Amino acid sequence: MAATFYGLMARFDTAPDIYHAAQQVRDAGYKNWDCITPFPVHGLDGAMGLRRSNVPKFSLIGGLTGFTTGMSMIWFTGAFDYPLIVGGKPYFSPLFAFPISYELTILFTAFATIAGMFILNWLPQHYHPVLKSKEILRGLDDAFYVVIEARDPKFDLNRAKALLSQAGAKEISELEA
Amino acid sequence: MSTHVATISNVAGTPAAGSTHSVGSAANKALVLGLVGLAATGLGVVISGKAAAFSYLTGLVFWVAVSLGALFLIMIHHVFDAGWSTVLRRQYENWITCLPWLGLLFAPLLISAVVAPGVIWKWTDPAYDLSQVGGHGTVAQDVLWVKKSGLLSTMTLIIASFVGFGGWTLISSRLRAHSVAQDTDGNISHTHANRFWTAVGLPFTALSMTLCVILWVKALDYHWYSTMFGVWFFAGAIRSALSLGVILMVWLWSRGDYKGIMNNNHMHSIGMLMFAFTVFWAYITFSQYFLIYMANIPEETFWYSLREINKDGVFNTWGYVGMFLLFGHFVAPFLTLIHYPVKLSKTWLPRVGAFIATVVLVDMTYNVMPSLKNSSGDAYPFLSLNLLWIATSVVGVGGVCVWAYLNSFAKTKLIPIRDPRIVESLTYHE
Repeated sequence: MAATFYGLMARFDTAPDIYHAAQQVRDAGYKNWDCITPFPVHGLDGAMGLRRSNVPKFSLIGGLTGFTTGMSMIWFTGAFDYPLIVGGKPYFSPLFAFPISYELTILFTAFATIAGMFILNWLPQHYHPVLKSKEILRGLDDAFYVVIEARDPKFDLNRAKALLSQAGAKEISELEA
Repeated sequence: MSTHVATISNVAGTPAAGSTHSVGSAANKALVLGLVGLAATGLGVVISGKAAAFSYLTGLVFWVAVSLGALFLIMIHHVFDAGWSTVLRRQYENWITCLPWLGLLFAPLLISAVVAPGVIWKWTDPAYDLSQVGGHGTVAQDVLWVKKSGLLSTMTLIIASFVGFGGWTLISSRLRAHSVAQDTDGNISHTHANRFWTAVGLPFTALSMTLCVILWVKALDYHWYSTMFGVWFFAGAIRSALSLGVILMVWLWSRGDYKGIMNNNHMHSIGMLMFAFTVFWAYITFSQYFLIYMANIPEETFWYSLREINKDGVFNTWGYVGMFLLFGHFVAPFLTLIHYPVKLSKTWLPRVGAFIATVVLVDMTYNVMPSLKNSSGDAYPFLSLNLLWIATSVVGVGGVCVWAYLNSFAKTKLIPIRDPRIVESLTYHE
C-alpha cells in the first residue's frame, strides 16, 4: 500500500535563515505548518505569526472552579450538611473559607494549565510523521526545519517547493504520513 | 572582564551621553512645592494640633516606604546579580538620595516626643492620662506598657530612628557612589563592593525598618500585637517603589531618554513584579487579619474593632476604608495586572502604578489615623480636615523627595553604562 503524502520538510542551516523563511511562509498565508528547531529561537513565534496561547483561558476556568469549590465545600460541610459552632464563629464566613479556597484556586489553576497545555498541543502524541524521517535527528542537534502539511487549504506541491527554495532551504524532502 | 567592560561602554555610551538632563528648573519647582506643602502642614499643626502631627506622620511614613522600597529593589538587584533591571537601577539610585532628607524631616516628630511627650506616641509620657482616649489611669499604671517598657521608651525611639536613617543613608550613598564611579572607570570592583554593601544592607535594613515602623506606626496603639506588621510595611514599600519605577520608566520613555533602552520585556517584567507583590500584600494583610480573627484575643481584636465599629456598635467610616483596601489594594490590581496586555501598555501600567501608590497611602492612613482617638475611645472619622493635612504632608515631603531625585538625575548618567550586566539589560528579552 502506498504511503500517503504528509507534507514537505525543508532544512535551514542557521537560526536567522529559518526566522526569515518562517516570515515568508507566514506571509504566503499557510496555516498548517510548523518549525522544528534544536533550541528555542527568540521571536520565532512572531515570525510564524502565532497568536498568544489559549492556555490562560484554561487557567482562568480552573482558578474560578477552585475558588468556588473551596467556598462551597466549607459552606456545605460547616453550615449545611452538619452545622457546628467552632470557636464561637458563625457557621459560614468567607473569612475562614478563604485559605482553603485560595489553595484550591492555585491547585486547580495548576491542573487546568497543565491539562490545557496538553490538550492544545495534542499531547501525548506517540507518533508524528516527521519522526519517520531520519532528518529529525539533525533537527534535535544542529539543523532547522520548516514542515508544511499537505492538508493546508493553500497547499500546492510545486508552489510550496518553490516558496521554500526561494526562502533559502538547503534541502527539501517529502514526508509520508 | 575588562575587555568586555570596554566594549559595552562603546555600545551603551551613545544613548546615555546623548540624553538631555534639563531638569534643573523642575527640581527647583519641586522644592518650592515641597516647602509650600510643609508650610501648609505647619499651619495645620496650628489649626488642628495633634491631628495634623498624625497626618504628617502618615505622609512621611508613606515616602519612607517608597524610598526604602527603592533601596530594597536595588539591593535585591545586586543580591541576585540581576540582569534586566540594570537600566532601571540608576533611577532608583537617584531616588534614594532623599533618605537623609527624610531623616531630617522626621526630626520634628522626635523633637516633639521630647518637648511635648505623649502628643504622638502616648508611651513617650508615662504620666499620660489614658482617660483622654477612652482608657483609665496613666500609661505608667498600664500593665501592657510596663511589660513592653523596655522597648517603648523615648530613648529607644530616638536611637532606633537615628540608627535607621543613619544606616539607610550610609548604605544608599555607598550603593549609589560605587555605581556612579563605575560609569567613569568601568572597574569591576565597584560591582563587588555593591554586593558587599547589599549583603550587609539587606539584613540591616530589614531589621531596622521593622523596628522603626513598629515604634513609629504600630506602637501608636501600644496594646496591639501583630507578628505580620514589619512584613506588611515591606509589602507596601515594594509595591509603591515598583509603581514609582514604572512611572519613571514611562516618563523617561515619553521624554525620549529611554528610546532604544527600554523595551516591552522590561515593562512586562516590572508588571509581573507588581502583580506578584499585589498577591504578597494580600497574603500578608489577610494573614494578619485572619490570625487575629481566629485567635479572638481582646489585646489584638480591638485594633480591627476600632477600624470598623464605634463603642456604641455603629459601623464607622474606617470600616468602608477597610473594604476599599480589600477591593482597591488587592482585587482591582489583581484582576487588572493579570492581563498580559496591561503589563505591556505604556498608558495603563503607569496608571495602575499611580493607583497602587495612592492606595498604599490610604493603607498607611488606615494604620496611623484611627489611633487618634476621642475621649470615648472611638476613632475620628476618615472624612475630616485631617485628609487635607495628609495631602499637604504628602506634597511637602514628596516635593523634597522629587527635588533630591531630580538633582541626582541631572548629575548622573541615564543608565550605568559600564555595569557588567548592561548589555544583557539593553538587549533584554524573555
